[in-house]
Amino acid sequence: MKTSNRFGGIWIFGDYRNYFRNRVTLQLIAKAKELAQKLNTQVAVIILGDQVHQYVMEYIAHGADIVIAGEHPYLKDYHVEAHTFLLSQWIEAFQPEIFIAGATSFGREFFPRLAKILNTGLSADCIALDIDPETRLLVQKTPAFGGELLADIITPETRPQMATIHPGIFKEIPHDSKKTGKVIYPEVDLLPQDRLKIIRRRPQKKYTTGIENASVVIVGGIGLGSKAAFETLFDLAGLLDAEVGATRPVILSGWTDESRLIGQTGKKISPSILISIGTSGALQYTSGIMGADTIIAINRDPNAPIFKIADLGLVGEISTFLPLLIETLRKRL
Amino acid sequence: MGSKNILICIKQVLDSRTVKFDKEMKSIIRDGMEGIINPLDCVALEAALEIKNKEGANITVITMGPPQSETSLREALAFGADKAILISDPAFQGSDTLATSRVLASAIKKLDVFPDLVLCGMQTTDSETGHVGPQLSEELDLPHVFGVEEIHIENNDFIVKHPSDDGYLETIKGSLPVVLAVTHELCVIRDLPLGSLEAAFTHNNVILWDAKDLGLKEDDIGFQGSATQVLNLYAPSPKRKGELIEGNSEILLEAFMKKLDELSVLDEENENQQ
Repeated sequence: MKTSNRFGGIWIFGDYRNYFRNRVTLQLIAKAKELAQKLNTQVAVIILGDQVHQYVMEYIAHGADIVIAGEHPYLKDYHVEAHTFLLSQWIEAFQPEIFIAGATSFGREFFPRLAKILNTGLSADCIALDIDPETRLLVQKTPAFGGELLADIITPETRPQMATIHPGIFKEIPHDSKKTGKVIYPEVDLLPQDRLKIIRRRPQKKYTTGIENASVVIVGGIGLGSKAAFETLFDLAGLLDAEVGATRPVILSGWTDESRLIGQTGKKISPSILISIGTSGALQYTSGIMGADTIIAINRDPNAPIFKIADLGLVGEISTFLPLLIETLRKRL
Repeated sequence: MGSKNILICIKQVLDSRTVKFDKEMKSIIRDGMEGIINPLDCVALEAALEIKNKEGANITVITMGPPQSETSLREALAFGADKAILISDPAFQGSDTLATSRVLASAIKKLDVFPDLVLCGMQTTDSETGHVGPQLSEELDLPHVFGVEEIHIENNDFIVKHPSDDGYLETIKGSLPVVLAVTHELCVIRDLPLGSLEAAFTHNNVILWDAKDLGLKEDDIGFQGSATQVLNLYAPSPKRKGELIEGNSEILLEAFMKKLDELSVLDEENENQQ
């Protein structure tokens, strides 16, 4: 849709599935509040579901000015085509100038389709957002080439300006049940027949979301030398309340499964502290950890590229250092 | 049912370690660079080849890109694709995913036989958007599944599996045609058959289509047909000025524990336990 003066407000897709582990919607509310101040506008969270009242209250308690909630029994599960159908109509009606969603698997599937229907611009997996003070445009910072390059993307002509945002980048506003907001329940009657049927949903054994939300993550690389050495990382993780990740060569060696893969083809994480052990620092891996606040790296090779991005680099023998560290922490805790 | 027509969208990408970019044009310099098939597009090709081996299929690969992308199409032919189409025109330069999916869709609609199955890698290693698969499905008005890690085709139906972010593996069923964006878990890529590359370069023809062939207007493609603009493209400044400590395990331990104390990791831990 082409821009006009009528567009206003920042919308956030309320991705409430897996609420307690997936905090991205709350993170986006916090960031959007900051942007809304610069634009002198309001923040609305849009949710679709069946009986979503509890989430409506949650989003208001976390800072949303408005919640727009569409309820229908069919919306109990996420359906891409029902979502794009309803949201494209509501966008026509309400005309938000910005619409953002978490780059979760659902967000990454339905947002591109919604942008296509609306014929508007979308950027992917942004790691920062800002408002250009002169143009009032949303500046969307997105990584490319495995984090080697950053691109500032704008959507000058069409509205809404859309972006998916990498989870874990922004800090949520603490829950405050005294906060108030406006709630709108648009009528949901006609829904398109979905051309896809979900015939089974089975919990994945290998599934861990812990890694994305952990404040401390320990990543093991092939430099650990053996599966047994890799497994001692779990002892260390227990002591530091951390999660364990792995690089691609570790997965290929069969020391752990793909769900722990950190990097360009695995998970991208932004913990407060990342402890990288026996990883050389290949780009494929480091592009997944650039969001970490502090990186501590341990490797025997002083020239390993990991030390270029580490805040603290330790050069030495992992096979003696690691047991000593675990023992010391055990005594201290 | 006869054998299926499978269409694979591939993209030639540059090795991310050797990439250079043009500050003026805010785009990547491709001239004189060696390109490879985007790794996830190879997965899509492999999946198609497995279907072809089992029950027969007609595989077409298409790519939109500069003329040198032809080498990647040749490589796909060497792997066992039957037909290759290069969509190339200087006017396509600057296309964002909205414009790219428009161009790909117009090429797919121009094919003699509309495909039963459209496959693409879930994302590329260069711009990493993951938009083209889903946006192509909208453009073609077809259903779409993102992040597919298993494909079964039965008569005119497909059954696929993909993970959802709440920790479930979803099994999804629908009728062909469909656009599937595939991920690494789907299959392991085979080795290139010996001698096939040479044959692909000497015998097979690659069809070339430009904007005019596809009936695309200036407003639909390139910078004009794109809703997004790249304002800036830059290498992020390495913000870390780390210290490097070399020594025996005791020395390393001391430095490590000092850092943990600085970051109050262990204090927090104790609070949590109280």
